[in-house]
Amino acid sequence: MNPVGDIINGATNGLSEVWANKVRSLLSMSGIILGVAALVAMVGIVQGMLTNMRASFELGGGILKLEVVPRDAPEAQQHIAGISPGMTWRDIGAIEKAIPLAAFVTPIVDMRWERFIVGGRREFAFLRGVSPDLTGIHNRELEYGRFIADSDIASKSPVIVIGTHIRDSLFRDEVNAVGQQVRIRNQIYTVIGQFSHMEALIGGRNSLRWQNRMNYIPATTAMARYQGGDEVDSIEILADRVESLPDLVEQVHNTLTQTHRGIQDFEIRTQEEELQEMKKLENSFTYSLGGIAAISLLVGGIGIMNVMLASVSERIREIGVRKAIGARSHDIFIQFLAEAVVISVVGGLLGLAASVGLLTLAQDFIPQGETIQTVPVTAMFYGFVFSSTIGLLSGIYPAMRAARLDPIDALRYE
Amino acid sequence: MSQPEEIFALSKIRRTYTVGSEQVHALDGVDLKIYDREFIAIVGTSGSGKSTLMHMLGFMDSPTGGEMVFERRDVSSIGRGERARLRASRIGFVFQAFNLLPRLTVLDNVMLPLVYSRKPIKDKPGRAMNALKRVGMEHRSTHTPNQLSGGERQRVAIARSLINEPRLILADEPTGNLDSKNRSKIMDLFASLLEEGITLAVVTHDDEVANYAKRRIRMQDGKIIEDSAKGATA
Repeated sequence: MNPVGDIINGATNGLSEVWANKVRSLLSMSGIILGVAALVAMVGIVQGMLTNMRASFELGGGILKLEVVPRDAPEAQQHIAGISPGMTWRDIGAIEKAIPLAAFVTPIVDMRWERFIVGGRREFAFLRGVSPDLTGIHNRELEYGRFIADSDIASKSPVIVIGTHIRDSLFRDEVNAVGQQVRIRNQIYTVIGQFSHMEALIGGRNSLRWQNRMNYIPATTAMARYQGGDEVDSIEILADRVESLPDLVEQVHNTLTQTHRGIQDFEIRTQEEELQEMKKLENSFTYSLGGIAAISLLVGGIGIMNVMLASVSERIREIGVRKAIGARSHDIFIQFLAEAVVISVVGGLLGLAASVGLLTLAQDFIPQGETIQTVPVTAMFYGFVFSSTIGLLSGIYPAMRAARLDPIDALRYE
Repeated sequence: MSQPEEIFALSKIRRTYTVGSEQVHALDGVDLKIYDREFIAIVGTSGSGKSTLMHMLGFMDSPTGGEMVFERRDVSSIGRGERARLRASRIGFVFQAFNLLPRLTVLDNVMLPLVYSRKPIKDKPGRAMNALKRVGMEHRSTHTPNQLSGGERQRVAIARSLINEPRLILADEPTGNLDSKNRSKIMDLFASLLEEGITLAVVTHDDEVANYAKRRIRMQDGKIIEDSAKGATA
């Protein structure tokens, strides 16, 4: 006995049988082809979506980011809450000085929705006062000019870094707005930098559009011009690596407890929750897509079984001849099983080819950002393995029927 | 003169089928010995049991009673796998309907039994070509069966039955689908193969074909009623 030889022989026979009945084989493959193509294409598109979501998440600092926001002091401290200076510029310095685990620290002085004026044109957009570290946390690239520098912070310069939304609405004619001036609340700012446009389209909407509406000025400028004090709205901190997150949270807590004179009027937020939400969404997509794919491949398997049963009854005489010249039941079983597997493997490969085509088409209709994942290799692998297994399983029953045929009856069969 | 070697020894072989509640005795106590290099014709009307006997000799079926010895070995109750092995290695079949596989070439058809005999043979195509030469069909090796005439197909089928050098070739109405010219060609071929040393049993109802055989066995109602080697028995 030589099982490897049996399998090679069976596969060769199977292939020639599939080739000899091209149309029928193609029809019987269609279920598997569609199943695999749909599975891989859908996973590809959903993966693209999730990748964009993750990119968005990473853009905002990702899992390494901590946010410190003010809150009311706990009840027990209410009567002495006044001794805390609140969240101030001094907290930034304290964190920078005391906590080496904090790779980047920036205050956020949030002016929210501001009116930007250039000449006679006006447009609303977000405005924030930040420090140079912001670009270390939010992964933004500059197309022109530079970002806010330490010297701008020190001298409270009237400079601004703008996104493409303001550029497009206020400087229509200029691609490069660096050096131009913008008026906000009767203050003049000089544009020193301009972000690259960010785009990741999902269903025709740019999921990163708010990034393009974000504009930044030095935190010190914002504090001096808008509030006259040194309060900040929140602090963003980026850990140097994931492992240091717990220590970082503790150290930030300790540092701020000190600067706030023991008053717990701040809250440290991690990105854990958002990450959990994303994982949940990912899982629900995976399970629902998996279910659809399983059903369509099951239907494909039934198609193969049907065709194999027809093929067995069509070739009863051939089975008789093969048995008469010495084929054992085992040989006939392998022969028909191999045929079913060949159909499903070829169908699976065609399905993979079709899925690449579908994904390419989808990309033509929905121009994707740089983050889109085109070929979901894992899904292709599983689609292929799953379809081959389905073929194997659906071939067992017909192959058993063929193998069990009595050679005498089979030879007499007309 | 020494007695030729005994291939088959059947004694009191029975084959009983149950059809509904009735017992049908397709073979009803057959005693038969087949010797090396014999040419036997098995004749009889349909339902006489000649096909069942051929299935017994070809290990396609097992007896329900009696004793069957093949090459000095009791094969009365061997299993399906062992029967398949014997079919592959010791028996060659020739059918009335030729039974070549239509999608395979002549050469592949002839090589097919080698797949199942599992003998380590190096030059399978060469061996198949030799078998084709023995039946004069080597020039058609790349054709498919439907490109051949009936007589040619049967010669290819004979080449296929020869490829594993069987101990016994069983032919079931080998000329039944052929015209008289091709019929005599096939019988001449059998005669020349006999000269080369094969042993042949032909099931036929054609007296002309039966006349080629040196020994004639007539069957009726599952029994041998005449054996020219012994004279009339029943």
